Amino acid sequence: MTTFLSRRPDSGLGNIKASPADPSRNIDWVLVTVQFALAIIGFFIVFSTSRTRVIEDPYAFATRQVVFALVGIVVMSIVMASDYEFWKDRARSLYTLTIITLVFLVLLGVASGEDRISFDLGIINFQPAELAKFTTLLMLATYLAEERSEEVSYARFLGGLIIVAIPAVLVIIQPDLGSASVIVSIAMGVLLVAGAKLRYIFMISVLAVATVGAAFIGGLVNSYQEARILALLNPAAAGTDETYQADNAMRALGTGGAWGKGWLQGPLTNDGDIPVMWADFPFAAVGEQFGLAGCAALLVLIGVALLRIWRIAHLSRDLLGTYICAGVFTMLLWQTFQNVGMTLKILPVTGLPLPFISYGGSGLIVYFAMFGLVQSVHMRRMR
Amino acid sequence: MALDKRAARLGVLALVATMLFGVVGTRLWFLQTVEQETLQAEVDLTKRRTVQLLPERGRIFDSDGRILADNERMLSVVLPWEIIRRADDREEIFRRVSGWVDVPVEEMERRFDNPQESPLLGLVVADDIDERTATALLERVEDFPELQVVERTRRVYPYAPLASHVVGYMGRITAETQEVYEERGYELNERVGKFGIELEKELELRGTPGYVVYEVDKFSRIVRTIEEVPPVNGRDIQLTIDLDQQQYAEQTLETMLKLRRQVTASNGLDPETNFEERFFPDFPKEVPFKAPAGSVVAMNHDNGHVIALASYPTFDNRWFEADLSGGKFEELFDVTDPETGKADPDRSTLVNRAIQGRYNLGSTFKPFVAYSALATGFMGVNDIYVDEGTYRMETVEDWKCSSGLVRCVFRNATCFGTGRPCVYGPVDIELSLAVSSDAFYYRIGEQLLNEENFDPEVYGEGRLLQDNVSLFSFGADTGIDLPFEFDGTVPDAELKARYAELGVISEAEGDGYFSGDNVQFAIGQGLLSASPLQLAVGYGTIANGGFVLKPEIIKAVYQPGTPDAAEPGFADISKAILAEEPNVRGELVRQIPFAQEWRDAINRGLRRVITGPGTNTRTGYRSTTGEKLFFYYPDSAIPIAGKTGTAQGANNYPWNDSSAFAGYSIDREHPFTVTAYLEKAGYGSQAAGPVVKCMFMQLSGAVEADPVVLSDPLNTEAISPAGPKTLSDTSCFAGRFSQVQIAE
Repeated sequence: MTTFLSRRPDSGLGNIKASPADPSRNIDWVLVTVQFALAIIGFFIVFSTSRTRVIEDPYAFATRQVVFALVGIVVMSIVMASDYEFWKDRARSLYTLTIITLVFLVLLGVASGEDRISFDLGIINFQPAELAKFTTLLMLATYLAEERSEEVSYARFLGGLIIVAIPAVLVIIQPDLGSASVIVSIAMGVLLVAGAKLRYIFMISVLAVATVGAAFIGGLVNSYQEARILALLNPAAAGTDETYQADNAMRALGTGGAWGKGWLQGPLTNDGDIPVMWADFPFAAVGEQFGLAGCAALLVLIGVALLRIWRIAHLSRDLLGTYICAGVFTMLLWQTFQNVGMTLKILPVTGLPLPFISYGGSGLIVYFAMFGLVQSVHMRRMR
Repeated sequence: MALDKRAARLGVLALVATMLFGVVGTRLWFLQTVEQETLQAEVDLTKRRTVQLLPERGRIFDSDGRILADNERMLSVVLPWEIIRRADDREEIFRRVSGWVDVPVEEMERRFDNPQESPLLGLVVADDIDERTATALLERVEDFPELQVVERTRRVYPYAPLASHVVGYMGRITAETQEVYEERGYELNERVGKFGIELEKELELRGTPGYVVYEVDKFSRIVRTIEEVPPVNGRDIQLTIDLDQQQYAEQTLETMLKLRRQVTASNGLDPETNFEERFFPDFPKEVPFKAPAGSVVAMNHDNGHVIALASYPTFDNRWFEADLSGGKFEELFDVTDPETGKADPDRSTLVNRAIQGRYNLGSTFKPFVAYSALATGFMGVNDIYVDEGTYRMETVEDWKCSSGLVRCVFRNATCFGTGRPCVYGPVDIELSLAVSSDAFYYRIGEQLLNEENFDPEVYGEGRLLQDNVSLFSFGADTGIDLPFEFDGTVPDAELKARYAELGVISEAEGDGYFSGDNVQFAIGQGLLSASPLQLAVGYGTIANGGFVLKPEIIKAVYQPGTPDAAEPGFADISKAILAEEPNVRGELVRQIPFAQEWRDAINRGLRRVITGPGTNTRTGYRSTTGEKLFFYYPDSAIPIAGKTGTAQGANNYPWNDSSAFAGYSIDREHPFTVTAYLEKAGYGSQAAGPVVKCMFMQLSGAVEADPVVLSDPLNTEAISPAGPKTLSDTSCFAGRFSQVQIAE
């Protein structure tokens, strides 16, 4: 045993080729650990929220989530193995491909007269909006990094705006306001760090609000989305069917108290009082079962992840890396805030998943890919 | 320095993140500590209530699209449980509602004590009220607060009582089946199929219920709808039954049974006593036939489709929907013999004798024994045996026979007018079937059991006859899609041991299987039992040359909502949408070896039963068992082959003889096989034979059948489970020198 653990004398030069700057020696293990902890917590939460819903197989959802995570690991490994410069060179073609896919999906929706947000590929529902998050970030970061000044010029800022606007509008048309808001949040983070003046940022915010308003008036918003937003704006409307899900989610969370009711002991979670809880309200399940302590622990984990990404943004060897990290940072921040916020009833219900915790293949895999990019920046910071 | 700027901007991001986390954290803290109790109280108050939405039950059609089972919408008056819980209130409101809906208060009280359905909504106090009454009741809110009028459906059988044994009936979920139904998501107040297709296809007919989930407050008031899943209606099922044939079969069967009750069996003088005493000295010269029950099966032997399946005594399945009170139901379906005061199985109505009957088949079984003799090589088609009227067993030592320890001599059936067993002289397979020589088959029975030249590895020890007749599905259910089918029995040592254990036979009898058992078995007696449907499958296999088919009762299964046709009582099958691919060609259970030579010999014998000629013996001409009956069978009608059978009943009294007949078409254009079995009704050619003959004449179009019409409403004053069915033209019953009396 001891001989196994101790290095044999003649093998001292065995890894001389590995310099301290070798990418494989610079993985941010803290971030990896946090990420996997979150994913594993996700498996348990998905199980606790879905086990009473599928009578034939209580593990149906949880099992699939594990499979999604395994796919995610493969994707992440591929992304990590390649220099992010590799993605820079392909950003344009990937972006173009994404736009074509989104247009195709919209046309398909028009042709069939139904809302289409995914392609049914048999084993998995592929959502192009998730792909768009990844490719838009790459495209935007690449485009902005081409200008090596402290502040982006107005022309480049406008160019960046167009890069974001095209997929954002296409996703709104689907209609998937949630994903669109994520794309916009990515853009805001990247643009802010790239040095856009505050009034530009303000401009984006106004534009975003205007787009949502236009979508409303243009009838592109689902009636249920409309109702959800109206319900939040008008608390008197509470108690209608539309707020049922959110009402019960808040009740589940609140009744958990400081320490929660215990693993699998949440009555609202068990009875399925919150429809589609595994995707929309996993945070309420955490709250009901593990209380304030559990919620805080989960938020701290996400906070640590944010901190690590923020740190990598600092450490990046170039602007491209910083922008990528900034985009992932704002995306994670916004999505967490949005999902937790709707569970706490301070934001409207949008159906944005809680990163790593919510059930869903596309979302989970994209997050693994995004974290892979961040790792790639960290791994190659010394070259 | 660019990096400093970058750091500063990243700082802004960090600031934003901290702020957002702060907001979330604060709110979280607030909710889970300060608001916790308020929220818990809210959760305790909000309750959910799920109301089931029942699907509409699938309908049942005959092969022409006649609607055999339908759903009728009706308006019912419902009183919520809350307002009738107190006796005083109840009495008051019952009294007030009673006049409006024409239901006596006592009847409402009865329903209250014994609620049939729907405790969810309240008590159903009146059904089938007209719309004007409903409106009037609902308008008088102050008189009838909380009273509801709901639309419900009721099962109706537009052609009842025709085919009621096949269609079946519905009833409440009983304690024994409660668990099974609960597992499948039934409400305990639902009505479910209890018999026939209604039971067999319960799950498909029922469909899938939907539900609405309401959130209710602490006063049980509905606050909002949480979820609504609409029900999926049941599938429609089309039967292979052709109601024209079915009606004709039921009429023929019932008419013939009633005719046989007017006839007597002779208790002749026994020649053994020098014609001084009667065979059964305790009984008079003539004893009337009881002819209590019977059944008819008609099927297509090319695809197994059953086109008629009649059982008598029959019943009207609308009785089960009539909500009978005061012991009326028990009275109708009483099986007690009024003379002896004991339960009499002959009177039971709720049994489909065509598939549940446990019958000795008598001589109708002989073709299968003939097959066994040919298939084992024990006999060739031209081998001759000289029938001397009795058969003495060859394998038993003489001393056992002479000491009386073993019965060694078996006699042929008594010849008409002589009181002695018939003697047929030299007989081959063909003639043995035509004249129904018992001795010929006694010998096969004995020899096949004791034959030592056969390899037991191939044929099974002492099971030559058993294994060969089992190929025709004897001893195993046919698999027809109807409940409670009887498996049938093929006698062997195992069966005897089992029967001895059950007390059916004495323990001494159960101790071993002997030659005598196989001798009885070979003429369709002893412990052999089969249903008329099994007999039909067996003859169908002879008719089609060795293809054992599963009898099909279901022609097609359609998606819910087959529309009605313009003609009343019919569904528009052309607009029906198939739910599953129908099995048009039938389901082959097995193909059995059937050499053309064997088939020809058996076919010739069975054809000769119908056409003659018989055989000339020393004592004169012996006709075949069917040639007199079929003397006037028209040449234009479907040519058939067939076999009579007379199964001896209790104590071998002649008046306990059951009459069996199986016939099949030898015309490939009309591939029909028909069997009939009439209990305690006489010789095969006297009761079952004429019924089968009439069926074939009707199938040929050689006789006029009554048109099938929609039934009159059920007469709830009636005292029998079903009204009489009478064949209008009974001329087809008659044969040459017929003893069958023609009804007025």
